[in-house]
Amino acid sequence: METTTSIPIWKRIWDRLGILGAIIILVLIGIVVSFIQNQQVTTAVLSSTIRQSTPLVLGALCGLIGERTGIINIGIEGQMLMAAFIGYLANVYIGQLGVFSVGMTLFLAALIGIATGALLGLLLAFMSVTLKMDQIIGGTVINILAIGITGYFYQVGLTTQGKLQPIALGRLADIPLVGPVLFDNPPITYITLILVVVVHYMLFYTRWGLRSRAVGEYPSAADTVGINVYLMRYVNTTIAGGFAGLAGVFLTLEAVGSFERLMTNGRGFVALAVMIFGKWTPFGAWGAALLFGFATAMQTQFQFMGNLTIPHQFIGMLPYLLTIVVLAGFVGRSRPPAAEGIPYEKE
Amino acid sequence: MLAKRSYLVILLMLLLGMALVACSGGAAEPAAEESAAEEPMAEEPAAEEPAAEEPAAEEADCASEELLCVGLVTDVGEIDDKSFNQSAWEGVKRAEAELGAKVDFIETKDAKDYAANIALFANNDYDIIVTVGFAMGEATAVAAGEYPDIDFIGVDQFQAWMFDDDTSNDFTNLAGLIFPEDKSGFMAGALAGMLTKSNTIAAVLGTDLVPPVVAFKEGYEAGAAYVNPDINFISTYHPGGLDVAFVDPEWGASTAKQAIDQGADVVFGAGGKTGNGALIEVASHEGVFCIGVDTDQWETVPEAHPCLVSSAMKLITPGVFDLIKASQDGEFPAGNFVGEVGLAPFHDLDSMVSDDIKAKLEEIDAGLRDGSIETGYNPG
Repeated sequence: METTTSIPIWKRIWDRLGILGAIIILVLIGIVVSFIQNQQVTTAVLSSTIRQSTPLVLGALCGLIGERTGIINIGIEGQMLMAAFIGYLANVYIGQLGVFSVGMTLFLAALIGIATGALLGLLLAFMSVTLKMDQIIGGTVINILAIGITGYFYQVGLTTQGKLQPIALGRLADIPLVGPVLFDNPPITYITLILVVVVHYMLFYTRWGLRSRAVGEYPSAADTVGINVYLMRYVNTTIAGGFAGLAGVFLTLEAVGSFERLMTNGRGFVALAVMIFGKWTPFGAWGAALLFGFATAMQTQFQFMGNLTIPHQFIGMLPYLLTIVVLAGFVGRSRPPAAEGIPYEKE
Repeated sequence: MLAKRSYLVILLMLLLGMALVACSGGAAEPAAEESAAEEPMAEEPAAEEPAAEEPAAEEADCASEELLCVGLVTDVGEIDDKSFNQSAWEGVKRAEAELGAKVDFIETKDAKDYAANIALFANNDYDIIVTVGFAMGEATAVAAGEYPDIDFIGVDQFQAWMFDDDTSNDFTNLAGLIFPEDKSGFMAGALAGMLTKSNTIAAVLGTDLVPPVVAFKEGYEAGAAYVNPDINFISTYHPGGLDVAFVDPEWGASTAKQAIDQGADVVFGAGGKTGNGALIEVASHEGVFCIGVDTDQWETVPEAHPCLVSSAMKLITPGVFDLIKASQDGEFPAGNFVGEVGLAPFHDLDSMVSDDIKAKLEEIDAGLRDGSIETGYNPG
């Protein structure tokens, strides 16, 4: 006889997932009920939710990888914008060469965009680790730089060969509701879903993850046991930049297909909020981003339904209102890594 | 030592960033032209910088009687916005080509700078100042009072003083170029109503804080209902304020997608770059049409060619030019000057629009002109 059998199964699930599990079950029930009532609208809202949440999840992953190692990154917005711009330009000019197929062009452009984000991450690491600058100012530098450079070099009238198109995953895409929402998306959306799991695994189940977290919580202890604090911070901030780069590339190569000045429109900052909301964990951030995306999709949906008697700006507040309510009521205390924002000095 | 160096780095980067922000989009302001002109301008289309070369000579010229100087102040947004500011600027450039005017523009970066930007032209003795956009109406009226010798053209600025009994606040040097957007939207709506097969049409709009956008929407819905009384509308305004509502292509795109997922097969994108985002999104969905706004967006958003059937146009360019010409001839029509509206050509999608539809559109156009058809939009 195993000892665990004495505890009923539902109790074990409850202990493990607690209120979070209850919320997830409630949400699933809600989705099923609304699906029965109106298939088309439910599918549309949920697809929109996934889409709206994608750049936020990527931005939040960027933020949390950096902050877990002790580097605050408020330059996510700038990294996204710059990567969106460079990725777009790469798409335009590689396309003009006419050497590669459209798919290959987009792939290369995406890589270049990701590299752009990573480079800006490297810049942030240089400013915060080597120069021991105030990290908030370092991030602000990146934001201002990105707005300036993209605005200055932006040209009108550039055309691309196309953008990333949805890939339906065979039979999976034919399942009602789940199919169109989860299995008929463009590539970066799939990659994002995979990355959430990968980052979670890396952060909590690998040596790299343990070291990263140690560096973010108690760098001098990490240093004592032989971890190179500076190197960890450099590497992680650079990788994190790549995530922000992917978020930017999502905007220009997958979602919109063209670039406009300031097109990130604050998504980098919302991603930061999403990261805090998700308690610096990948799954938390994903859930928070989904909530935010859902609220955004719903405010559009409310307008679609028409005949609003209240100004639509009130409905526009929905995502932010929901964030406040959930943050205040359900998330509880959100604790940042202890050494966050403090430059490490070797003794 | 290290700390000192790091401050230097911060300072340099911030300065570089600021400089680029200030320079972005070409000539910032005539007074600062010298510095702007020195920056490498190779990235900008050369045709857009006609006045940037001789900033020093310009001031002297504008004070003289013979030379007509026309300055344009954009609304928050860029001169090359593929839409509104650009159309007005093209009207000014036409004055340059046909009337030999000296022309220049200032891009407004912040709504707080409206008055300052207008004053820059006024203090340089410009003869005509064009201000673009509803939001600048108040600043333009103040400036018109301050500089009685300069003619002001306010694109999209409704002049309410025309209609009150008080004559003390009347201007002789201020004309609002306004458009019956509701009629333009009505035509677009009628087209959409006849093209739709799913009986659901959508509109992705800027913000209802700007009356012309509301007029477009109301006209669009009235036009569709005129040809097709049972039609469903799913229309959305951007939830943000004036600063973001017209520059959020991803919101436009995802909103258009959400509408298409619910069966909309014609999408009207009316809201600057936000609307452009919607048009480009629609282009990747087969069997769905999109309709642009303000200018013929076939020219301005090539990515939307697969779906772009027409655009609900406001003929801003000829309107601005006509007013400039009138000013030069000394016949400046102070008050409200109503410009032309109409549908843009169908271009490659011409074959999708049947002769019946075209005949019906012509009939509606005639009806709107002679007043036998009313859009029902009343701004109050």
